[in-house]
Amino acid sequence: MSQLTEELVLDRLIHEPGRLAILTVLSSVTDADFVFLLRATGLTKGNLSSHLSRLEDAGLVAIEKRFVRKKPNTNVALTAEGRRRIAAHWEQLERLKRLGK
Amino acid sequence: MQRRALETAAANYSYLRGLLYIPVGALFVLAALGNWEVGPLRHTWVFLLAALAIGALALAINRYYNESYGRLTPSTRQQVRAGVGLVFAVALMLGGASLLRSHASWSLDLPVNPIAICFALLMLASYAIGVGLKAHHVIIWGGLLVAGALPVWNGADPSNIGLLLCGAAVVVCGVFDHRLFVQIFGPPRAIDYENGDVPAH
Repeated sequence: MSQLTEELVLDRLIHEPGRLAILTVLSSVTDADFVFLLRATGLTKGNLSSHLSRLEDAGLVAIEKRFVRKKPNTNVALTAEGRRRIAAHWEQLERLKRLGK
Repeated sequence: MQRRALETAAANYSYLRGLLYIPVGALFVLAALGNWEVGPLRHTWVFLLAALAIGALALAINRYYNESYGRLTPSTRQQVRAGVGLVFAVALMLGGASLLRSHASWSLDLPVNPIAICFALLMLASYAIGVGLKAHHVIIWGGLLVAGALPVWNGADPSNIGLLLCGAAVVVCGVFDHRLFVQIFGPPRAIDYENGDVPAH
């Protein structure tokens, strides 16, 4: 693989549309709960849950389960690594876009 | 992938929870009526009770948004921006209103409604910076700005009428903001919490 091609390889874990949406929303806040992520991304509960599991396993998000007014509430925040990776991913996409012009 | 739409979701969430503006507008109206000592509002305890009821309404509305649309903590940058905005807002309201019309020696003493003008400018700036001006913002706050700037406010201090106009504008803007909020985030269907908000994984 040439150096240029290697530089333009996209992060497959992040590039999946659902996960990219979750990470992009989280990049604009300190933290958000599951319900807000459902609303902001338009994903289904099951989809959002499985994407969050994968992102947590990869160390890109930190998930905190808690109770708010006696109801279970799941709070999600980007880790430092997640913040770095999503910024780098969007930068990569912008570079690809510029190359295509 | 609509990057911009996803990144502005948090700002839209913070700014467009319009039902919360209804108690804020009601507080403006209550303050004006209280200053005029209208009916039972001449008694301080009635005024305080009404203010408490409005506060309780605001808490109930906040809970509705949290449960139907979720919770978030804005980024540090957004929180700093809000803090700076608040300082600027107080300075504009006090300084601007005094400059336009007051007993201060440096006041221009114009026949305008300074509360309406300053508040309208403040809201226009706030929406423009926060989420971008929508048509209803321009119409409502532009209308208030024009009404306040008309040179018809001679005679007695027009501050109370200014408060009343601001209160009405806040309520109407809130209704339109909420409509836009529902368009962006969907109808307020209940989320099933029975087994937690995240299925087991």
